[in-house]
Amino acid sequence: MTSVRRRNPARSGSPALLGAAGLAGLLLIIELLPRLGLVDDRYLPPTSRIAAALADETGSPQFWTSLGDTLIAWALGLAIAVSAGVLAGILIGSVPVLRELTASTVEFLRPIPSVALIPLAVLLYGTDIGSTLMLVCYAAFWQVFVQVLYGVADVDPVAYETARSFRFSAWARIRHVLWPTALPYVFTGIRLAASVALVLAITAELVIGAPGLGKEIAVAQASEAVPTMYALIVVTGILGVLINLLARTGERRLLAWHQSVRGEVTA
Amino acid sequence: MRRLLAGMVAVAVAGSLAACGTSSDSSGSGDSGGVDNVKVGVIPIVDVAPIYLGQQKGFFKNRNIELTMEAGQGGAAIVPGVVSGQFQFGFSNFTSLMIAQTKNVPIKAVAAGVASTGEQGKDFGAVVVKADSPIKTAADLVGKKVSVNTLKNIGDTVTRESVRKAGGDGANVNFVEMPFPNMQAALEKGDIDAAWVVEPQLSTIKAAGGREVASTFVDAADDLTVAAYFASTKLIADDPDLVKRFTEAINESLAYADAHPDEVRTTLSSYTKIDAALGAKLVLPKWPTQINEPSVEKLATLGATDGIFSGNPDLEKLLP
Repeated sequence: MTSVRRRNPARSGSPALLGAAGLAGLLLIIELLPRLGLVDDRYLPPTSRIAAALADETGSPQFWTSLGDTLIAWALGLAIAVSAGVLAGILIGSVPVLRELTASTVEFLRPIPSVALIPLAVLLYGTDIGSTLMLVCYAAFWQVFVQVLYGVADVDPVAYETARSFRFSAWARIRHVLWPTALPYVFTGIRLAASVALVLAITAELVIGAPGLGKEIAVAQASEAVPTMYALIVVTGILGVLINLLARTGERRLLAWHQSVRGEVTA
Repeated sequence: MRRLLAGMVAVAVAGSLAACGTSSDSSGSGDSGGVDNVKVGVIPIVDVAPIYLGQQKGFFKNRNIELTMEAGQGGAAIVPGVVSGQFQFGFSNFTSLMIAQTKNVPIKAVAAGVASTGEQGKDFGAVVVKADSPIKTAADLVGKKVSVNTLKNIGDTVTRESVRKAGGDGANVNFVEMPFPNMQAALEKGDIDAAWVVEPQLSTIKAAGGREVASTFVDAADDLTVAAYFASTKLIADDPDLVKRFTEAINESLAYADAHPDEVRTTLSSYTKIDAALGAKLVLPKWPTQINEPSVEKLATLGATDGIFSGNPDLEKLLP
């Protein structure tokens, strides 16, 4: 019994610690691999050299502009994808005819990789932020949309019919019955979309040359600046972790009242 | 809570509308107080150093041109970008321009871009092999795997010519496509037998012990004009004055860059991440202000021989 009681608090405090230890281990391995000659240090420089290059980068205004460009493309793309996904999801999800009408189209469009749309994006928007937004929106939209569809399908039909028999207006039914049920799904969708949006923003910049961190990575590659390239890749990794943390925290805060989150905390 | 979400959606929708707004009015060249905003599609490599240098020197501003460089990864976006009007001018190699021309894409060169140094062993592009490779001359490339950055473009056509000049069968070389930065590793791992590279990869590979077997641009033609600045025929017809001012400014930039290699090397750090040590030892190309027409004709003949074009390019239409 005591051992169980002692393990629980340790468990709740350790993920961050374990995570940090894992990361430190990874950094150590990357330091050692080239130093031991297991990989060529021209292709994978040790952690210390990457860190030095990172320090150099943070001293240049170009780096901060690029970071800003990437974050703007991410946030804007995510916002558009989430609003479109939620609106389309509720509309299509709550009208059975629409749902059946679109099901095959959705299944057809969803697996198309966003990067396949690069030529189209370039034709429409050139190397502007518009190209990045197009790819980000396309990829992130489905994450939200499909989750919202599940959420709408999860609505208790008895509650819905009760609301209907109490002559709730369509808007009131959405607001008081459908929306609270769908909300956890919406947040799951947003959390998934947030990561996907970052990946696609960087990819678009890398491949198309739209302004942002991805383009800086491409320029570093073309310039034979290998440590700088890894330094920028590390930055995108850090961004990914931060965005995931932010999404999780936001979800927990905004859904604190919901049983899905309450249940998660007590378990 | 609900109000907060409603607010989030409202912000998102407003954001998307704003995005539409900015994307529609950012393209095109508006006259603002007599100054033309000009976007040029370039590849962020050594070849386009003069335009960055010319911008710093004010050669464009002096002619009422406010210049923005749109540096795309690879040249694939540049021709469509110029045709659709997202860029007013673009930089591209002549083989790509001729491919576009044979497909009746309405473009025309307006100024020279970059040229070979014309010196064997001292050019900015070459085929390289590992130090211990059995390949000694271009003729040994027959039947071998050679990497180029783009298949059916200038890299393979000039390499085939080097092979022919060395007495080999130019048609019988296996080209594989990969980005320049990947070539050194592929060469050392033995995935490819030889690599067609340009600066800065050329210097990096040579510094690591790589050996040059052919100066392909030198073999292809005397003083080959490799690339040019171009515009859409629509812009040339609609705004000949802007094209004239741009051409003058770019010519001044080319001449200045050609005469000031040290400043070119310094400029590199402003738009690439080439470090100072590497930048100091790069082989710089030549930047003449004249397009060497016989060399472009030769490139057209080579492209036709190697089946890169579906017809013969009409140089009358392409050259200024």
